[in-house]
Amino acid sequence: MKRNYVMEPLGEMKAMYQAYNEEMVELVKKNGNIVLLYGDFPRGAAGELVQKEYPDRIYDVGIAEANLITTAAGMAGAGKIPFTHCHSIFAVGRAYNQIRQNAAFDKLNVKIVLCNSGMLWAFMGGSHQIIEEITALRVIPNLVLVSPADPVETKKVTKAVAEYFGPVAIRLANPPVPTIYKEEYPFELGKAVTLMDGEDATIIATGIMLADALAAADMLAKEGIKVRLLDMHTIKPLDEASIINAARETGAIVTVEDSSIIGGLGGAVAEVVVENCSVPVKRVGIKDRFGQSGTVAELKVAYELTANDIAKAVKEVIKKKPPVLASQ
Amino acid sequence: MAYDEKVIKKLEEKAKILRRDAVEMIRAGESGWMGGSFSQADIIAALMFCYMKHDPRNPQWEERDRLIVSKAHCCETVYAALGEAGYFSKKEYQSYGKFGATLQAHTERKVPGIEYSGGSLGEGLSFALGEALAARIDASEDASGRPVPRFRVFCIVGDGESNEGQVWEAVMAATHYKADNLVAIVDHNKFQSSGTVEERINMMPMAEKWQAFGWDTTEIDGHDFNEILNALEKADKVKGKPHAIIAHTIKCKGVPSFEHKNLHFCKLSDEMYAEAIEALK
Repeated sequence: MKRNYVMEPLGEMKAMYQAYNEEMVELVKKNGNIVLLYGDFPRGAAGELVQKEYPDRIYDVGIAEANLITTAAGMAGAGKIPFTHCHSIFAVGRAYNQIRQNAAFDKLNVKIVLCNSGMLWAFMGGSHQIIEEITALRVIPNLVLVSPADPVETKKVTKAVAEYFGPVAIRLANPPVPTIYKEEYPFELGKAVTLMDGEDATIIATGIMLADALAAADMLAKEGIKVRLLDMHTIKPLDEASIINAARETGAIVTVEDSSIIGGLGGAVAEVVVENCSVPVKRVGIKDRFGQSGTVAELKVAYELTANDIAKAVKEVIKKKPPVLASQ
Repeated sequence: MAYDEKVIKKLEEKAKILRRDAVEMIRAGESGWMGGSFSQADIIAALMFCYMKHDPRNPQWEERDRLIVSKAHCCETVYAALGEAGYFSKKEYQSYGKFGATLQAHTERKVPGIEYSGGSLGEGLSFALGEALAARIDASEDASGRPVPRFRVFCIVGDGESNEGQVWEAVMAATHYKADNLVAIVDHNKFQSSGTVEERINMMPMAEKWQAFGWDTTEIDGHDFNEILNALEKADKVKGKPHAIIAHTIKCKGVPSFEHKNLHFCKLSDEMYAEAIEALK
């Protein structure tokens, strides 16, 4: 099946935080207002450069996530563009009120980098794997939530977020991910990317799970099932038009995320679908369970996040199409 | 050092206006933060009408000193100071706390002169630290190579509020980064929402805690303008450390029959209102 913007075969494996740093190295040179703040988190290439060249633009507040977020908000209040870096589980879990009250409430220009985001920070186990971040953050007014899928998209997200004025949280998963996109693909905050088109169903994926969704779409194509594949890199504001079009034009939707399906991408898509064009939806993601240690591959099997699981969900959701839609 | 009597007299008069206007706001809003508003009133008056560099005609002036009132359960005397200084019309007082009002029950940055949306306790000092650090970025340097910050940041912290762990996270970080353009003023009125500070979670001795974290620490009577102004001046002179001024204050200071009572959040009956206005003539 024809794929849009996708490398054939998929490219280099790289950690999102590395890709983020590669872009940030360029951004800090161009924009003197960018300040990097850390909560005892590894610097990466951008942090090392700023430490050496612009030492008054880098701060580490230690293991104190609440202070990290609010200090960044104060810097934004004084006209700076602070990027905070700490583990997502502690930014969202321990500094939720600070994200809400100090960053989002006044629409301050704070950029919260959610490092080691999602369920697939494999080795670390349940205390460190965050299943709640999409659910918890998308309910906060003013806050933009972005979830890039590969190294190329991570760079485009980083640049776009630095240029956007307002509070943004960026999900960066831990495991290295394959390069999906060609460099020149068009990226716009808030606008889903259509990687494949088809009429039988739509897969809407976000973040690290896009590669698995792509594999699932390929598997289905071999069986003659043609799916539309959307990369929903911006969770908020959600590209509702793309979801409604997918519902109208394909009649069935499967969402895919490394986060809780309760209020996660699955919840968000389902809300849009039932209000606008009710069609069957199945949600692939974490089903009301905490995480555990293991390899990424083991966790994907245990939590039903594999390409096979996605393909299975697509077949199930197609079966649930009402007869008039099923016959299309 | 004793300050010019005229300066002290002016500040006493301003503080009285702030308390009086706060009473009017609490009356209009049918509720308010009487205790904290009154305990900090003299400190607010000293900062806004004597010490801080600010311009009511240009609230966004980049080099203005910042006042962060962390807990904001005391917003009336802050609003009163801004109204008195000319940041907005005193007519706004009548809609305080009402639907659609500019002056909400907790301070919000959308109000001219307000730097920080308070109300969630323990967070303001971190915000103040962020502002203080930002003031040093790309700043010029003095002869010894120290940055000369573009502005100073004053943060009023409640003593009950200091139960929150984040206060101490900010205290640690400010010392680490030698944020000497940051002044925390603890409104040590000895009460919190449901009882005395000592009853709830004893934080005494307060000054020693800040000192132990490496802050330049001064204890004062928070209702004595000479002591307030001297402490602020000292804070300006001591370099290389953030500054804590532990201001011993009296909850509801200014209306004798209310003093030392925990009128934290209250309504004013007709009798109380009349008594307050009489005392603040």
